[in-house]
Amino acid sequence: MNATASRSTRRRATVAVFAVVAVVAVFVVRLVTIQVVQADTLNAASFDKLSAETTTYGLRGDIVDNDGTVLATTVLRYDVTASPKSVTDFDRTDDEGATTTVTPTQAAGEIAAITGQTADQVYGILTADPSSNFAYVVRGIDVDAFRSIRDLGIPWLYYSSNPVRTYPNGAVAGSVVGFMGEDEAGEATGSAGVEQIENQCLTGTDGVQTYERGADGVAIPGSTVTTTEAEPGGTAMLTIDSDLQWFSQQALAARVQETGAAWGTVVVQEVKTGKLLAVADYPSVDPNNLDATPTEDRGSIAFQAPFEPGSTFKALTAASVLDAGLANVGTQVEAPYIFTDPNGASTRDSEFHVDPLRLTFAGVIQESSNTGTAMLGELLSPQQRFDYMTKFHIGSSSEVGFPGESGGILHPVDEWDDQTNLTTTFGQGLATTAVQMASVYQALGNGGVRLPVQLVSGCKQADGTVTQVPDTTGEQVVSPQAATDTINMLETVATGGYASADLQIPGYRVAAKTGTAQMSDGSGAYGDSYITSLAGLAPADDPQYVVSVTIAKPVTIENGLAAAPVFQKIMSQVLKEHRVLPSGVPGPDLPTTY
Amino acid sequence: MTNLAGAFMARPRTSIAEPAHDLPAITPHIEIVPTRSQKRARPKIAYAAVVVTGVLAIVVTQLLLSIGLSDGAYEISSLQSQQKELDRSNQVLSEQFDKLSSPQNLAASAESLGMVTNSAPVYLRLSDGAVLGSPVAAAGTSVTGGQALVPNSLLTPPTVAGATAAGAGAAGAESAPPAPEVQPDVPWQGALPSPTTR
Repeated sequence: MNATASRSTRRRATVAVFAVVAVVAVFVVRLVTIQVVQADTLNAASFDKLSAETTTYGLRGDIVDNDGTVLATTVLRYDVTASPKSVTDFDRTDDEGATTTVTPTQAAGEIAAITGQTADQVYGILTADPSSNFAYVVRGIDVDAFRSIRDLGIPWLYYSSNPVRTYPNGAVAGSVVGFMGEDEAGEATGSAGVEQIENQCLTGTDGVQTYERGADGVAIPGSTVTTTEAEPGGTAMLTIDSDLQWFSQQALAARVQETGAAWGTVVVQEVKTGKLLAVADYPSVDPNNLDATPTEDRGSIAFQAPFEPGSTFKALTAASVLDAGLANVGTQVEAPYIFTDPNGASTRDSEFHVDPLRLTFAGVIQESSNTGTAMLGELLSPQQRFDYMTKFHIGSSSEVGFPGESGGILHPVDEWDDQTNLTTTFGQGLATTAVQMASVYQALGNGGVRLPVQLVSGCKQADGTVTQVPDTTGEQVVSPQAATDTINMLETVATGGYASADLQIPGYRVAAKTGTAQMSDGSGAYGDSYITSLAGLAPADDPQYVVSVTIAKPVTIENGLAAAPVFQKIMSQVLKEHRVLPSGVPGPDLPTTY
Repeated sequence: MTNLAGAFMARPRTSIAEPAHDLPAITPHIEIVPTRSQKRARPKIAYAAVVVTGVLAIVVTQLLLSIGLSDGAYEISSLQSQQKELDRSNQVLSEQFDKLSSPQNLAASAESLGMVTNSAPVYLRLSDGAVLGSPVAAAGTSVTGGQALVPNSLLTPPTVAGATAAGAGAAGAESAPPAPEVQPDVPWQGALPSPTTR
C-alpha cells in the first residue's frame, strides 16, 4: 500500500510538472511572439495611440532700439478649430452644479460674441460639411479671446497656437524695422528692412518633443523624449532711439503735410560714432497693418531713393578745396550771376543780381552761390573732385547693407560732360541718398574722419553673446583743419543765411546748409519740382549730431525754408535728450564779403 | 523524536518506590545532540521572516514609488499647464506694456494731461553753480498738435486714450498719486562735487 501511494504521488507530481511546463511554454511562446516577433508592429501601433508630438517653438528674436525698447517681437496667437462631425448638444454644469444643455446654435452665438463674427457665420462654419472632421472656426485670436472661448467648455472645439510678429510701436521706425513675408517655400521670413538684413540672427529653430501619454493626456512618467531642442532666435540691436525716431517722424509728417510735399526723410546720426539715431521716412509703413500702405511706400526712402542733393553738397566741395590747400575761408571770389566755363558750360545763381557778388569762400557758402562754388570747385581737377567724392562714399552704398539700398549715382569721371563737370560742384548731375548726405556731414563734424554708418549694433544670441558687431574703423577723408574750416563756414549759414531765422537754437551754435535742388523729371531733363533739404550739425564748436532733412516737391514753400523748421525742432530735441551742454565759446563769425 | 527516548526511560522510575533516594540521581535528561548538519538543515523562522518582510517591503516600496511617480507626472502636468497659463498672462501683459509705452501713446497721454515741452533746456553746473543756457518759459506748444501722424494700428481701437484716461482717473480717485516717491534720475557726468572745508 505504501508503494502504491508513493507511485501515485510520483505520477501526480509528474503530471503537475508537465502541466506547469506546458503552461510556462505557452507563456514563453506568447511572450516571444509579442516581445520579439510582433514587437515592431505592436510598438508602432501603441506609439500612434499613446505618443503625442508637440512642436516647441524657437521663437523669432526681438528687434530692439538702443535702450532695449522692443520694436518687433513675436507673440502667440490662437486658432480655434472644430470637428463638425461631432458638433452636438452638450451639457454644461455651472458653479452651483446645475446642468444645462447647450445646442450648437447657442454655442455658435456664444463664440460669435467673443470673436466678433455673427452667430450665423459661426454656425455656417460648423455645419458647412457635417461629414468633415476639421474646420477653422476662427484664426489668429489673442489670448483673451482664446481664454474666453476655452472657458465656454465646448467639447468639440480644438485649439492650436501660432507665433505671430507684432510691432508694439507701430510705424515708429516701421520702414527701417521692415516686416515679414514668405519665402519660396511659403515659410515666414523677413522681407524688408532689419527683418530682412538680420533674418539669420532673428530666426529661431523649432524643436519637436515626443512623449507618451495616458488616456487623460498626462505624460506617462519617464516617457518624455525630447527629439530636438528648440532654439530661440537672437535679438537684433539697433542704434535707433525710438523716442527720437517718433519725434522725427511726427515733425517730418507735420511739415510734409503743411507744405503739401510728396515725401520726406530725416536722418539723425551721431557724429562721434557714426550711429544712426533716427531714420524717418514719410510716407512710412506701420508693419502691423501693411494693407494700409501702398506697396511702393513700404520701403525706406532714406536708404533706397537717390536724389540730386543740390546745395547741401557744397559742403563736400568746400571741404575738398580746403583740404587740397587751393583756397581758404577768406579766399575772395567775384561771383557773377551767370558763370560760363571756357569750355562753354555755364551756370547761374538762383537769384538774379546785376553786379558780381564780392564774396569770400565763407560768403559763397552762406549765399549758396552756384557760380562762386563752381569757380572755387574748378580749382580742383575733375579727377580730384571725383576722388574726394569717392572717399566720402558717394556712389557706393553705406555699410548698413539695407535691402535695396542705393549707393547714389556718380558717373565715372571720364563720362562727365562739361555741364556735369560744372554742376557736380553744387550737387546736381549726381545723386545721393539721405543717409549718404548725413554721412558726409558726419565726417566733417568728426575732424574729417568718416565712420562707417551703423544701423545694427549687433546680434545678441540667447546665451548673451553678441555677434555681428560692426566695424567702427574710421577713415580720414579730409584734414581736421579743412573739416573745422568747413564747419565754421557752414555756421555763417545759420548766423546770416536766408534761413537763419529758422535755424536758431538758443544757446547752441549751429552749422548747416540749405539746399533746393531741381528734380529730374525721370526722362533726363529737369522738371519744375524741387527737393528742398537742410543738413547740419550742432553744437558747431564740438559737433555731436548730424540732422539731415529732405522734403520733396513742397508746394507752398520751394526752398530750404521748407525743411529748416524740421531741422531746428529735431536738433533741439536731440541736444536736449542727450543733455548736450550749450556752446561755451562764441563762433568765429567769418567775414562773408569784402 | 528525540524526546521519545526520554519518555521510555522515565517510565520505570515511577514503579520503583523506595530506592529512589539510595540511587544516585536518576540518569539526567539525555537527548541526542543534533549534528551540525542537522542543525543547519533545520528550517529557521527568522529566514522566512526576513524573506517575507523583504518581499513585502519591496512590493510596498515599488507601489509607493509608482504612486509617487504617477503623482509626480500629474503634478508636472498641472504645473506645466499652470506655467502655460502664466506665460500667456505674461504675454498679454507685456504686449499691453509695450503698446502703452509706445511714444505715440505716451505723447498723446502727456498732452491730454496738459503737459508741454520746452525745447530750451537750461543746465545748472554743480561744481560752480553756473547756469548754462538761457532760461525761457515753455511756449506751451504741442509736439503733436493733436494729430497722431505716426500711425500705430495696435492703438487704433480707442481703448487706449479713453482707457488710460479713465484708468488714470480711477486710480487717482482710489489712491494718492505715488509720484513723490519716485525721484527722477539726474544723469551726472564726472566726479561728484564735494564741499571744500579747511
